[in-house]
Amino acid sequence: MTLFQLQIMTPEKVFFDGNVQRIIVRTTEGDIGVLAKHEKYVACLPAGPLRVITEDGTETIAALSGGILKISPEQTVILANAAEWAQDIDVDHAKRSEEDARKRREQSKTQHELDRAEAKLQRALNRLRVSSMTK
Amino acid sequence: MAGSNMKAIKRRIKSVESTMQITKAMELVSSSKLRHAKERAEQTVPYFNLLYQTMSEIASEAAGFHSVYTELRETGAALLIVMAGDRGLAGGFNLNVFRMADARIRELEAKGREVILMTIGKKAAEHYAKFPNRVLAHFEGIGDSVTTYTTLNMAEKILRLFQEGHLALVEIFFTNLVSPLLQEARRMTAIPVPNMENAGGVRSLTHYEPSPEAVFDNLIPKYLSGILFCTIVDTYASEQAARRMAMENASDNAQEMIDDLSLRYNRARQAAITQELTEIVGGANAQN
Repeated sequence: MTLFQLQIMTPEKVFFDGNVQRIIVRTTEGDIGVLAKHEKYVACLPAGPLRVITEDGTETIAALSGGILKISPEQTVILANAAEWAQDIDVDHAKRSEEDARKRREQSKTQHELDRAEAKLQRALNRLRVSSMTK
Repeated sequence: MAGSNMKAIKRRIKSVESTMQITKAMELVSSSKLRHAKERAEQTVPYFNLLYQTMSEIASEAAGFHSVYTELRETGAALLIVMAGDRGLAGGFNLNVFRMADARIRELEAKGREVILMTIGKKAAEHYAKFPNRVLAHFEGIGDSVTTYTTLNMAEKILRLFQEGHLALVEIFFTNLVSPLLQEARRMTAIPVPNMENAGGVRSLTHYEPSPEAVFDNLIPKYLSGILFCTIVDTYASEQAARRMAMENASDNAQEMIDDLSLRYNRARQAAITQELTEIVGGANAQN
């Protein structure tokens, strides 16, 4: 199978850099699969799961908390606000932020506060969902 | 008489020596903080470069590209973000950036623009304490602990003001670490996003989802947050470099003073011995 280079970058660090067979990522328009030699493509990513099928065919899952996907002939890059591998997710912490986000959503007075609480809730739920996918 | 003079010189040497110990220690602390800050600044570079590259690609390639973030508005205030240190003892580091920002405030006001400020660093708050109603927000003690979450929050606040039509212009005043020996106060226009001209007519081969404008607007908060993060870390690194230099100079001056005082001490000692000898010889001669 033809491989392609995938880079996942967050503001803090280069999260992943290696050759992969295939990725499946959630965009604002729906899930898309990417193989080698994909057309030039840029998409917005909401908080969602990312499946990476690496060189040896194993599948690993990561939780992305929003960002963009950029595919050019040279490389495929995901610029994520934050990224975590499923096995590294702190479930207790995610549950706490879920509760906190729900509380904030109830108490929000302005549309802006509501949007922020909603976004936070989606991030927390996404992390919980992704961490349960490995078990 | 000579004895008391010697004592005074000795005391001064001791006091200068202990000052030098402090300046030496501060110099070492600043060097290690500087190294740390430089590493942190370098980590964000690949992410930020790619983000910026994507934005300029969208702006230049997408036919009929249009965004509120790339055009200068006629009305609305100018937000100046002034970044300085939390502490002094860093030579002209804080002053240089204030001088630049103050000149810009006068210039903008002469043109009839309202100016509001956001200050970062204790020294910046002190400097602008004279215009409390102009300062929109203040942050301090964040130089060494700033994360992209903090800056994303700041960026969202700023963008909300922009979207509500209160702001026309966002400029950042920071200090750029050119080299460990040279720091320069700089002004950077954050919004309207510079260098985003539409080349027009160039057919883009890239497929944007949902649309080029949506992707661009989605990147704006990250872009602003990235700029804020980089400039805060850059300013912090510059502060450490400036302090390291100031302390190095202070240590050198202290060493010079010690050398000078030691010379005077030795002279005084010699004078005292000579005087004693003269007295003994004089006394012996008088007896004969």
